Amino acid sequence: MRKQAEEKTNWGASYGELIWRQFSKSWLNIGCLIFVVFLFLVAIFAPFLANDKPFVIRIEGKLYFPLFKNLQPVDYGILLAAIGGLSQLLLIRNERRNRLTKDGSVNGYGCATRLGISCAIIFAGTALVFVLIPRRLDATDYKIMVASGKATTAIFAPVPYGKTRTNLVARQQPPSGQHWLGTDDVGCDVLCRLIHGSRVSLSVGFVAVGISSIIGIVIGAILGYFGGKVDFIGMRVVEAVMAIPVFFLIITAVAFFPRSLLNMAIIIGITSWTGNARFIRAEFLKLRRQDFVQAAVSLGLPLRSILFRHMLPNAIAPVLVNATFGISGAIFIEAALSFLGFGVAPPTPSWGQMLSLGVSTTGRFLWWLTLFPGLAIFLTVLAYNLLGDGLRDALDPRLSKAI
Amino acid sequence: MNRDEILLSVQDLSASFFTEDGVIRAVQNVSFSVSKGRTFALVGESGCGKSTIALSILRLVQQPQGKIVSGEIVFEGQNLLRLREKQMRQIRGNKIAMIFAEPMTSLNPVYTVGDQIAEAIKIHQKKNTNQASRKAGAQAWEDAVELLRTVGIANPEQRAHEYPHQLSGGMQQRVMIAMAISCEPKLLIADEPTTALDVTTGAAILDLLDELQKQNGMSILLITHDLAVVAERADDVAVMYASQIVEMADSQQLFAAPFHPYTRGLLRCLPRSSISNPRSRRLQTIPGAVPQPPPFPSGCKFHPRCRIGCNDNRCQTVEPELRQVQPGRYVACWHAPA
Amino acid sequence: MIPTLLGITIVVFAISRIAPGDPVSSAMGRGEQSDVGQTDIRAARMRLYGLDKPIHIQYANWLWRVVRLDFGDSIKHHRKVWELIKERLPITLTLNLMAFAIIYAVSLPMGVLAAVKHGRLFDRLSSVFFLALWSLPIMWVGQMLIGYFTGVAFKNWFPPAGLSSNYADQLPFFLWLADRLWHLVLPVLCLTYTGFAYLTRQTKAAMLSNLQADYVRTARAKGLSEATVICKHVFRNSIIPLITIMATLLPAMLGGSVIIEKIFSIPGMGLLAFEAVSSRDYNVVMAIATMAGVLNLVGLLLADIAYAIADPRISFESAA
Repeated sequence: MRKQAEEKTNWGASYGELIWRQFSKSWLNIGCLIFVVFLFLVAIFAPFLANDKPFVIRIEGKLYFPLFKNLQPVDYGILLAAIGGLSQLLLIRNERRNRLTKDGSVNGYGCATRLGISCAIIFAGTALVFVLIPRRLDATDYKIMVASGKATTAIFAPVPYGKTRTNLVARQQPPSGQHWLGTDDVGCDVLCRLIHGSRVSLSVGFVAVGISSIIGIVIGAILGYFGGKVDFIGMRVVEAVMAIPVFFLIITAVAFFPRSLLNMAIIIGITSWTGNARFIRAEFLKLRRQDFVQAAVSLGLPLRSILFRHMLPNAIAPVLVNATFGISGAIFIEAALSFLGFGVAPPTPSWGQMLSLGVSTTGRFLWWLTLFPGLAIFLTVLAYNLLGDGLRDALDPRLSKAI
Repeated sequence: MNRDEILLSVQDLSASFFTEDGVIRAVQNVSFSVSKGRTFALVGESGCGKSTIALSILRLVQQPQGKIVSGEIVFEGQNLLRLREKQMRQIRGNKIAMIFAEPMTSLNPVYTVGDQIAEAIKIHQKKNTNQASRKAGAQAWEDAVELLRTVGIANPEQRAHEYPHQLSGGMQQRVMIAMAISCEPKLLIADEPTTALDVTTGAAILDLLDELQKQNGMSILLITHDLAVVAERADDVAVMYASQIVEMADSQQLFAAPFHPYTRGLLRCLPRSSISNPRSRRLQTIPGAVPQPPPFPSGCKFHPRCRIGCNDNRCQTVEPELRQVQPGRYVACWHAPA
Repeated sequence: MIPTLLGITIVVFAISRIAPGDPVSSAMGRGEQSDVGQTDIRAARMRLYGLDKPIHIQYANWLWRVVRLDFGDSIKHHRKVWELIKERLPITLTLNLMAFAIIYAVSLPMGVLAAVKHGRLFDRLSSVFFLALWSLPIMWVGQMLIGYFTGVAFKNWFPPAGLSSNYADQLPFFLWLADRLWHLVLPVLCLTYTGFAYLTRQTKAAMLSNLQADYVRTARAKGLSEATVICKHVFRNSIIPLITIMATLLPAMLGGSVIIEKIFSIPGMGLLAFEAVSSRDYNVVMAIATMAGVLNLVGLLLADIAYAIADPRISFESAA
C-alpha cells in the first residue's frame, strides 16, 4: 500500500527528491545528517555556547549585556550567512510545495525574488552590525566581578570560559567539575576550545572542497567537452599534478607560504581537484555524444550554457560523492597539519593543534588532551564518510528504475 | 510425443524469487519430459520463466533470492532436488551440461580457452589420481585440443592458448559447447545459444549441435524465443506463457495445427514474404503485453489478450490446466478442440 | 612518463618561486635588510645563488642540477641534501614496504571472507566497522598507542620512540633484529590499519561484483566446488582492480609516514620533511617533494606493469 503510494508520487519528483528518498531509507544516514547539522549549529552559535562574558549581568542595579556587546564581526557574519542560507532553503521548499499542489502553475518565487530577499537580509544585518560592533575590546573579567560581589545576578553561557583567556594557575588539569574536559597547557578550557575549533575545521573543509570542486569541474568540463588535442595535453597536466603525493605537495606549499586559515584552505583545495576533474571529464566524454547536447549545440546556445546548464546536472553525481569525502579529507588534513605545527597559529583553536598537546614537553601523557580533540576529529570525519557512503548508495543505478 | 525412453522428467516444478519488492513466481507447476536422443524446445517470450527452469534442473538458481518451491526433477531415476550438493556436483558438467546465451561474458576472461576446457575434464576424471598431476594435466590439455577440433575450430593447438576476448562470438560459443560436451553428457541444456550471434553463425552452431547429437546420442533441451529455430531443429515443443506451459506437442503437429490462442498468435506474427501469401502484407501482432508479476490476471493469464478469452466468463475466472487433448498433445485452454 | 616527470619538477619549482619571499631574505633576516649597506650584500648573494636570472633560466639550472642528483645543501644540517636523503630513504621505504606487505596479506583474505559471508546485518555492521577504522585519524591513533602502550600510564609493552634501543649496537645480529622489530611494531601498526580498512572494503566490493558475473554461473555448471569457484575464478578476476589501488595506497602511506615518523621519532624521510618545513630549509623541501613525486611515479609504473600482467585483455604497449 505504502509502496503504491510511493510509486504514485515518484512522478513529478525531481532528481534531488528521488535521491533524498533513497538516502533517507537508512537510519545511519539520517543519524549522520543530524550529527552534521548539530556540528553546524555548534559552529554557528559557538560564541553563545562558550564565552566568558555573561549574557546579562546586573551591576549596581543596572542591566548590562556584555556577551552581545562583544561579539566579533566574524560572528555576525556567520550568523547572517546562516540566516540567509536558511531563508533561501525555506523559500525553495515553499516554492516546490506550491508548485506541486497548485496544478503545476509556474508561480514560484523566482530567482530574482530570492536574490532580493537575501540582499535585504544582508543589508539589514550589516546595518545592525554597525550599530552593535564594540568600539573597544572589553577585557573585564566578569567572573571576578560576580565573586567579589560587585555584580549581583549574572547568567553565563553553558561553558563559561573564553577561548583565549589563559589561566596559568589551572593549566593541564584533568577533567573536573569546573572544567568538564580539562584544561590545556596554558589553562584554556578544553571544551570551550573544542567548540570554537569546530569553526576552523568546518570552514577549512567547505572552502577547500568548494575550491577543488569548482576547479575540477571547470577543467574536467573543458577537457571532456572538447576532447582531442585539448584533452590529450590537459590529461598530461592532470597526471603531472596527480603524480605528486598530495600530502607532500601540501607540506611543500605550507613551507613556502605564510600560515593562515585561508591559505591552508586554498592550498588543500588547489591540490585535490584532480579527482573531480577526472570524474567530470569521463562523464562529459560520454554525454558529448548524446542527442540533447547535439540539440543544444545546434540551437546555438553559448558554451557556458551547454556545459553548465545542460550537461553538468547529469554529471554531477560522482562529484557530489567526492565532495563529501573531500570535506572529511580536508578536515583530516587540516587537523594533521595543525598537529604538526604547520596549520593555524595559536591562539586560534584547532582540534589538531590541541591533539598535539596531548604529550607534554616533559613526556607526560595528558589523556584528556588526546582523547577529546581526537574524538572530535574522528566523529566528524566518520560522519562525513558515512554520509558520502550513503550518498553513493543512494545515487546507485537503482535510481534509474524509478525514472 | 514419442514413447521413447524418458531421460529427464520434470514434474510440477515451481520456483519463485523472494525480493524486497515481493514474491515473484517465475515458474508455476511446470511438467514435461525429455526423451533420449531427442531435442526438446522450450519456447516463450523474455521473462516467461524458461531460463529459470533450465537453472532449476542444475540447481543453479540464484540464491538466496531464488528458491525452488516444490516439484520433482527425475533424472536417471534420481530426484535431483533431493540430492546433496556433492552429488549434484558430480552431475553438473558430467551427466547434464549447460551452455549459455552470452558466450563472451560466460567465459572467464583471465584464463585461456584451453585451460577452461581442460578444467572441466580434470574435474570429472575418475581416473587414477595417483598419477602425477602434471601428466593428468597434459592429457587433459590434449583432450581439450581434440574437443576444439571436434566443434569445428580451425588450428586448435594454437587457439587453445588464446583468451576468450581474442575469439569471435561464434568461436566462443563453440568453446562453450566443447566445454559442455567434454564429459559426454546425456543431456545438454542450451539456453538461447544463438541469441547473441548473427544468423549465419547461429545456424552453424545449431548444425554443430545437431551433429554432436547424432554422434553422442545426447538429448538437447533447447531454450529459445525464436520459432524458426524451433521449427527446424526441435522434435518436441512446449510453449510457455507467464511462468506456465500453455501448449506441448510434437513439433510437426504444433506447427501444422496450433491449438492454444497464444501459439496461434505467435505463428501468425511470423513475417511472411508476400510472394507466398499476397494477402498478409501487414505484420501481425498480439495486442497487449506480457503481464508482469505479481499481479497476474485472474483466470487464464492470457485472457486479456485473447480474442475469445476477453469475452468469456470462464476464461476470466477459472485458470485452465494443462491437459491432454490428443495422444501426445497437451493444451491449457478452455476452448481447445478436445 | 617523461612529461609527467617534467611536470612534477615544474610544479615543485613553481611553488617555490610563487611564494612570497626568497631564500636569501629569510637567511639574512628581516632586520638586516633595511640597512643601506646590506643591499649590496643581498645583491651579491642573489647573484651567487643565481636568483637574479630570469625564471626559466633558474628553472633550467635547477633541473640540470636535479638530474645529476645535486639538490644543493641543507641549511639546517649543513650537509648535501642528497646525502641526507640517501641516509633516510631506506628507513622510510622499509617501513612502508612492510606495511604494504602486511596490508595485502591480511586484507585480501579478509575481503574474500567478507564477500562470501555476505549476510544482511553482518554485512552492514562490518561495512560500517571498516569505514570507521578508515576514518580514525592517524595521529590520534599514534598518540593514543604511545600514551597507553609505551608509558607508565597504562602498559609498558613497547618502546615509545626510535628505531633501536640505546644498547642495540652491542647485540648479536638476531637480537638486534628482534629489537628493531620490537621498535617497529607500533609505527607499522599505525601505517597499516588505514590501508587495511580501505583494501578490505575494496576487495569485498570487487568480489561481490564478480560473484554476479556470468562466468561464475558457467563455472558452477561445470561442476566445480564452491571453494574452487571463489578462490580460482572470482578471486583471480577481483585482483585486477586491486592492483590499481596499489598505486593510490603508496602515496597515502608516504604522507602518513611524515606524521608517524614525527610521533615515534624515527629518522626517516618523513621526519626530514617535517624538520625541513619547520626550519624553512627550502632545498630539502623541494628535494623531498621531487623525490616523493618520483617514487610515486615508480609505484604507478609498477602498478601498470602488474596490471598488464594480471589482465590478459591489456597489452603491454597500451599500459606503459
